[in-house]
Amino acid sequence: MAIEKMSLVSITGDMEELDDALQKCCDSGFFHIEPAFSGGEGRGHLLNEKNEYEAILKRLSQFVTYVGLTPVETDHSSLSAKSPDELSAMCDELENELAALKDKKQEDDQRISELSAAQIQIEHLKGMNSDFQQLFSCKYVSVRIGRLPIDNYSKLEYYNENFFFVPFETSENFCWEMYFCPESEKELIDDLFRSMYFERIMLPRYVSGNADEALARINDELKELKASSAETDKKISDFRNSREKELQVLFSKVRFLSDSFELRRNVGAINGRIGNRAFMIKGFIPKKREDKFSELFKQLETTTVTYMPADADASCTPPTMLKNNFLTRPFTMMVEMYGLPEYDGINPTAFVALTYTLLFGIMFGDLGQGLVLFLGSILLNKKLGAKAAGMVRRVGLSSMVFGTLYGSFFGYEELLDPVFENLGIDFLPLKVFRQTNFILITAVGIGIALIVISMLLNIYAGFKKKDYEKAIFGCNGICGLIFYSSVIVGVVGSIMFDMKIMSTPFVICLIVIPLICIFCRVPFAAAVKYKKLQLSEDGEKMTIGNFIVENFFEMFEFVLSYVSNTMSFLRVGGFVLSHAGMMLVVMTLMDGASAVAQPIVLVIGNLFVMAMEGMIVAIQIIRLEFYEMFSRFYDGGGKPFEPISLKFSAQVEQ
Amino acid sequence: MRATLECYSTNATVAKIRAMHGRMFTADNYRELMTKKSVPECAEYLSRTERYRSAFKDTDPNTIHRGYLEELLNKANFDDYIRVCEFQGLDSIPYYRFLISRREIQCILLMINNINSELENSYLNSLPGYMIRRSKVKLLELSRAETFDELVKILKGTPYYKPLSKIKADPDGKVDYTACELALRKDDFEKLIKYAEDVFIGSEERELKEIIYYEIDSTNIINAYRMKKYFGYSAEKIKNSIINISGRPKGRIQKYYELDTPEQMLDWIENSKFGKCDRDTDVIETRIMQARYRWLSHVLAGTTSAPVALYAFVRLCYIEEKNLVHIIEAIRYGADTSVLEKDMLIF
Repeated sequence: MAIEKMSLVSITGDMEELDDALQKCCDSGFFHIEPAFSGGEGRGHLLNEKNEYEAILKRLSQFVTYVGLTPVETDHSSLSAKSPDELSAMCDELENELAALKDKKQEDDQRISELSAAQIQIEHLKGMNSDFQQLFSCKYVSVRIGRLPIDNYSKLEYYNENFFFVPFETSENFCWEMYFCPESEKELIDDLFRSMYFERIMLPRYVSGNADEALARINDELKELKASSAETDKKISDFRNSREKELQVLFSKVRFLSDSFELRRNVGAINGRIGNRAFMIKGFIPKKREDKFSELFKQLETTTVTYMPADADASCTPPTMLKNNFLTRPFTMMVEMYGLPEYDGINPTAFVALTYTLLFGIMFGDLGQGLVLFLGSILLNKKLGAKAAGMVRRVGLSSMVFGTLYGSFFGYEELLDPVFENLGIDFLPLKVFRQTNFILITAVGIGIALIVISMLLNIYAGFKKKDYEKAIFGCNGICGLIFYSSVIVGVVGSIMFDMKIMSTPFVICLIVIPLICIFCRVPFAAAVKYKKLQLSEDGEKMTIGNFIVENFFEMFEFVLSYVSNTMSFLRVGGFVLSHAGMMLVVMTLMDGASAVAQPIVLVIGNLFVMAMEGMIVAIQIIRLEFYEMFSRFYDGGGKPFEPISLKFSAQVEQ
Repeated sequence: MRATLECYSTNATVAKIRAMHGRMFTADNYRELMTKKSVPECAEYLSRTERYRSAFKDTDPNTIHRGYLEELLNKANFDDYIRVCEFQGLDSIPYYRFLISRREIQCILLMINNINSELENSYLNSLPGYMIRRSKVKLLELSRAETFDELVKILKGTPYYKPLSKIKADPDGKVDYTACELALRKDDFEKLIKYAEDVFIGSEERELKEIIYYEIDSTNIINAYRMKKYFGYSAEKIKNSIINISGRPKGRIQKYYELDTPEQMLDWIENSKFGKCDRDTDVIETRIMQARYRWLSHVLAGTTSAPVALYAFVRLCYIEEKNLVHIIEAIRYGADTSVLEKDMLIF
């Protein structure tokens, strides 16, 4: 239950060694970088250089995409070129080689696009049998072809102008038509049609003959062009195959150089001791890796590494790296889901691991189903991911243990009875439906224990941070713990064991006084911390009336939360019953089925219960963890420890 | 009728209107549109939005005419209104024809303008094509009228005959356009209020009347300001030139019409509910439309009445359309983005 101790590292050296230093940081695999300077510091400034590799990378990415190559990470140590100019020249060379083919392809595609557009337009004029060339060459008559919004079509007959129109085809929104007008009046008529949003279709000059003939001609030409385009594609593909290795090496190199350059954004530029330009890199590493880290930089002449305590620089917060053992590690995903603890906080992973495993086993206890979960997680380790599979493995084992205690094996509740009889254990297996009260009371008991542990953790965390309100006077502090435990002891003792505990001194000392302390937690905490009484946390003015009203409602909420959180654990018992109930339904269905169908019903029933109830139980426990437990002691405002690395990616933002 | 309507739950219509309202343009949409450099780019952007996708179906952004683009926006709003009315068969109730009436009035006014200006074909050219099949007025037949009297004759049998027949034309067949506009709009609002009183009851009637009166007042405020600022009209003349609904109690707004200078009018507007907006602007239309947009959005969010929700929605669409047209025009003429933002009706 610990958080890895960090060291603040400051790396300085001559600017010439910056790339090598960054490379070493990446190679270490455990360097978390921070901006070397935050705003307002006068010692230096962050490097803000233009990444010249970025443009080359974009060009190269477009090029490889054009030739149909998917970049994959390739060893680029054989390529000596490093400067942007050299790499840019290599790109030029490649582009020049392909330029002729690219132009040819572009030309063909453009022509195909033009012809396809003309083809669509002429399709709408299919009813027209006159020769286009003849129509357009009329001396005294102007002809226009195009489409008119259908809504305006009915207007045409109301115009007293000198034109006539021939519709060819109508769609939902447009009418394709042709209109004729005297050459001398064409400007007026064109204006008129334009005002009705007539969209004129400019047919290419090569379109001749009637619509059918023109279409046939266009189709022939399109066919030829497509064949030519396919041939160009093949040549491009041959180019790609012959130069694939060269392209992959070049892309990997440029990607690497560009990404390395991006890391410079957090690097600071300072003046060296002899007036030279120097760099400064700031970050965190785990304290135990200091020696190993220093070892990496030994080869660099001017670069020095300095270690400081993690909290030495107020401008950067140390990141949190959870330290967990083999058993608890998979449960870090639960903690990360809620939010990592602060660097000086507590690591709740072990607590989560223990409680999650325990509660899952109780709520989903079945030896057979637990075994399926266990084996399934081993088989699907890769698909689920190591953490999720690890969690399933552990909860599967827990389910098997509690399944054995319940004597349940794939819904057969009597199968294990002879085993316990032979062993001479008469109180096992637990018969769920015969011991309902015991199960429910135990569930609440577990809840009380977990809430008390959560409060103890909160007290520990509060003292660790010197937050006395949280540790002593808060509803989850010492006062809250005394109040909660006393009420539980009082109620349980009086009702279940008929003990007369609730005496006046007991009530006053263990219930009323803690309640008063919780009510006045802010002024009491201020008195301890600042040696003065103040009603509000931040020292703002607050009237006594406001203080009483505000705290009354907060107290009401605290007390209510004690009750509701405790009762919330009844669901643990509830799921024990519901699991047994669902399996009873499966068994009843199986009994009613034919001999052939019985195994099928058993398998499907078990799978259904495992999928549905397994999912619900998993979610319900997360709820219990986060609401009933985490909310009492855990804040989760930490920053994740993210070591820098150069990961290859084929994607390039254009 | 009341009994029928009481049984007739229109909650589904309100829900539908709210869903449509949710698809309306936001400030981000306007900002994105403002980054476009040409009308085709605007058309292409609009055709990609959920709100206008169906309206721009089949159109080619590269060849679309700006006027047609604006007509498509107008038609899209009209189609939305028709869709809402037909959703629960509300189009059979006369009240719900209010937008059709308004568009018909616009067409008639276009024709009056055509007669007065003696510009041949200008009416037919500007007549929104989609109105031809929706209108009960023979809109295409109107184009045959050469004088105002002929126009009134064609309108016989329509609700517009009565208000226009009271207006006398000049011997040359022309007519006072403003008088016609005032008569038609006043008649339209009066009918709408009468429907609200006859067909709807309780809070629905109250909300409906409130939203209609708000529109009348805000329109009057803009017109009165213009009359004062650009034509120097007296208080009396202003009162005679605005929409006065008979039987309506005279409120605080009467004092506004009596103010002496346009500056005083601007002050009055700034301190009234008609001019409450987040932006500091001297452009009265921008201020009032901003306030109207906010108020209508508020009404639409809170009402459970279909006629109120529809009225608010239609007016919001109108403001949105105006805003879009404003942006497209500005892009067409290469206006600066900062100037454009300043004059936007809503942002």
